[in-house]
Amino acid sequence: MSRPTNPYAPRAITVATVGGRPRRIAGRAVEAVRDQWLVEDRWWTAAPLRRHYLEVVLAGGRCLVVYRDVATGRWYEQR
Amino acid sequence: MTIGCILIPRFALLAAVGGRREMLAGPVALAPEPGREQAVGEASGAAEAFGIRPGMPVSEALGRCPQLALRPPDPGRTASGWERILRRLESIGAAVESNRAGEAFFAVDGLSGIWGPRREDVLARAGRAVGTPARIAGAPTRFCARAAATMARSRGRGRAAPIRVVAAGGEREFLAPLPVDLLDCALRDRMAPPGRDDPAAGRLVAALERLGVRTLGDLAGLPRIAIADRFGALGLRAHDLARGLDTPLRPRTPHEDLVQAIGLPEAACGPQLERALDLLIERLLGDPRRQGRAIRALSVEARLAGGGSWSATAVLRSASASPERLRLAVAPKLGKLAAPATALALRAVDTTAAAGSQPTLDGNPRDRRRERLTEAVRQVRVAAGRDAVLRVLDVDPGSRVPERWATLAPYNGPGDSDEPGHDRRGGR
Repeated sequence: MSRPTNPYAPRAITVATVGGRPRRIAGRAVEAVRDQWLVEDRWWTAAPLRRHYLEVVLAGGRCLVVYRDVATGRWYEQR
Repeated sequence: MTIGCILIPRFALLAAVGGRREMLAGPVALAPEPGREQAVGEASGAAEAFGIRPGMPVSEALGRCPQLALRPPDPGRTASGWERILRRLESIGAAVESNRAGEAFFAVDGLSGIWGPRREDVLARAGRAVGTPARIAGAPTRFCARAAATMARSRGRGRAAPIRVVAAGGEREFLAPLPVDLLDCALRDRMAPPGRDDPAAGRLVAALERLGVRTLGDLAGLPRIAIADRFGALGLRAHDLARGLDTPLRPRTPHEDLVQAIGLPEAACGPQLERALDLLIERLLGDPRRQGRAIRALSVEARLAGGGSWSATAVLRSASASPERLRLAVAPKLGKLAAPATALALRAVDTTAAAGSQPTLDGNPRDRRRERLTEAVRQVRVAAGRDAVLRVLDVDPGSRVPERWATLAPYNGPGDSDEPGHDRRGGR
């Protein structure tokens, strides 16, 4: 068993978008986007961090925080 | 009995310059450690040619040699590099004593049956084990062996200089023509606690030279009572060394290198550093190589953002495996850190035998609960692996990036604490 080291490590997730807005996340429809914010950090280093966070409500009523890595365009889920 | 000496002069300076050995061709010396006395450390040969000596005030050193380059010391790299060399020596069966980086002593006779009948064979084998150029010699006493090694040529990397072994009974004759400043290092090590120099040793050598006592033979020829009257216990110790008398070796006990390190993505100080320390303590206590042993002394090492490193040692009044007590001993040391750190390491310098648990006849419910919890953790680990039980440790709860909020550390269980019922700090 590999040892987890970080309980908040981001996990890659599949997100279907329409016009940049998430419509389905891991096969579940997105009911609403409750909040969104941008995090820019470590811009002074060689590995700057730019993330567009969204707090969404899925069809089953589950709340989820996801973000899109602005540099790569990939989506991640984060607790 | 023959004592072997492995001597690597200016080991701390070599560690500080890293791969840039060409720097040693010019005048270079170790800068003072942050927060310590403003005196230079080890100096290169070119710097010594200007009269610069370890322990000399920085102002005086720069006055003697304005072009002197001061390198920040790197005690972490020095300690780890020297520890590797000591382990290589121990790997050939040598019981090693070492009071400072760059100097190691071991009894040769016990190794003759393994590495050859001649003492020179054993010393040559030790030189190969060290794996780096070193001066090697043997003699009946520690001080005499060091003096012989000081005069020897460096061996290693294709250089095979002859090894000198001073015969038993010939130590006084061997030492007689040598200068008294050889006493400096020996007295500093013997009269001061580990890691700290005793300036009285330097003063004694300077006083002897002013009085015209220039060689060890001159010193050995002086009446003992006169030495005691003028220089006290330190003088008597120097007199013994000059006459070829020395204390027996006190080799260290070979032990597992219990060390945990963490890289800090951004230079950290203050609370972030303390949280990193908490994590290192948890990891150290959760290290299976510890095998239940309690920790008596800890060394905390930090790599500084501005270059160089810093280290401090904390000795506990009684050995403990309690994270709270270890933290109480080490955390105040971090306050003396003079610059932000980019990496932090925690090393168990001294450990004791496994701590036994004494069951009580009238155990209270809290103790019984702790015992059940400890047993439950143990059973879960047996069934699902060591990493099946972890605890969440806060790292930087105020960070905008969630993965920096916390990390997972080994859960050592309430049985590891010697303070029953005490809640773990920072646990969730």
